Amino acid sequence: MADQLLPDRLDAVIDALVARGDASAALRDPELAALARVAADLRHYPSRDFTARLRARLERRTTMTTTMTSGPAEAGHSADYAMREGFTTVTPYIWVPDRGLADFLVRTFDAIETSVGEIPGHGVHRELRVGSSMVMIGESGRSDVPARPVAFHVFVEDVDATFARAVTAGGTSLGEPEDRHYGERAGFIRDAYGNHWYIATALGPQSLGHALRTVTPYLHARDINGYMDFLSRAFGAVEETRAEQPGGVIPYARMRIGDAAIEFGTADPMPGAYFLYAADPDAMYEQALAAGAKSLSAPADRPSGDRIGFIEDPVGNHWYIARPV
Amino acid sequence: MDVSTDEERLLIEAAQADPARFVELYDRNVDRIYAYVSRRAGSRSVAEDVTSEVFEQALSNLGKFKWRGVPFVAWLYRIASNALADHWKREGRDSHDLPPDVPDEREHQDLERRVSLFQLVDRLPDAQRQVIQMRFVEDRTIREVAAALDRSEGAVKQLQLRALENLRKDAGHHG
Repeated sequence: MADQLLPDRLDAVIDALVARGDASAALRDPELAALARVAADLRHYPSRDFTARLRARLERRTTMTTTMTSGPAEAGHSADYAMREGFTTVTPYIWVPDRGLADFLVRTFDAIETSVGEIPGHGVHRELRVGSSMVMIGESGRSDVPARPVAFHVFVEDVDATFARAVTAGGTSLGEPEDRHYGERAGFIRDAYGNHWYIATALGPQSLGHALRTVTPYLHARDINGYMDFLSRAFGAVEETRAEQPGGVIPYARMRIGDAAIEFGTADPMPGAYFLYAADPDAMYEQALAAGAKSLSAPADRPSGDRIGFIEDPVGNHWYIARPV
Repeated sequence: MDVSTDEERLLIEAAQADPARFVELYDRNVDRIYAYVSRRAGSRSVAEDVTSEVFEQALSNLGKFKWRGVPFVAWLYRIASNALADHWKREGRDSHDLPPDVPDEREHQDLERRVSLFQLVDRLPDAQRQVIQMRFVEDRTIREVAAALDRSEGAVKQLQLRALENLRKDAGHHG
């Protein structure tokens, strides 16, 4: 070995180290021991392509969070990102076969229909204002399209009166109004399409009812931690609170995406659909895919005038990532 | 409190108020976390996946970080330890595996030495740095490196030797 030149001997040592993690060649050659130690450390040298890519991804995520958080509040400063008036970053999109759900919302919550139109080939698109929130409804006009019922937390002035109206409008009680330990008087309704409405009136100054809008999507998942992590990576969602029981079960958690709140409970998923306003739907679509979402349709300019990309998240919820014109 | 911890604290507070500042915390710590993870990961792709996971989670949870005088990197090591344990679980490794330890004083010194070494690599002359990159990061043979750089194998081996000698010399404590 000693009659080999130093560069060749070093190369043999590196070969053994890199390919097999074998340092014995270095030990047999004391002249190379110090260099072999450097070589051993270099096996852990990070790829600079990798560190730059990860940096860019984090940077994109933080920029997006900042844009979304400040966008709606400062719409006047952000000419390329004006959210439709009255809307928040996230709007539930409920698919049903007919206009019965819109009727139910009008009769129960005094909802006001603000817009209705045809979706060519897909039925009717309807928008309703419920208190301080907007809800979108897609009416397929077909009974063979499986329903995708979802759940909502709704704050009203008088839960008992609203609950009674919901039952009159065809809802089924899942739990009569009662004072709940979490600071609200709440009753639970299932409508004729299977959607759950957790109707509540705030009790006391600490109640969530003072922090949330009228309607907040209530998403169910079995692995809330994993799902929240996905939403954080995909959409820059920020955790606001989380209750944790022994054994890691999370009975309740809440995140914010832009200016919209979303609540979570551990239960079998009720996968639905949500409209998500983003300053850059293309970038957010890519980010969602990188976070583990499945593409349903790449971003494109739609007949409605919005640019929209469609994805399905790991729980099965569909997200329409949109930028309004 | 020394100047660097004071500075770190300010930086964390800045990033908590404005997430765009998070990349500064990333720049300061990515080599440490990668070095810690790489030692336990078994492969580059796992080390990269877990390192990504650590910073994605750190960004998501930055609001929950509370300054208690412990360096920020200690918090990141804890996230990394859990991320590795989760990775092993997903890989179907024995679920009795406990999360790996966060670095003790001795490992901490080892990691700091490696981080300094990585920064020295970044400052090597281009040709030497490229050889290190291809040999150690891309696992290429001398013949492949020679072809890529359009040099003889002998010349590449010389570059490799010179790079390692420079690194040993500049790192000081390797000699």
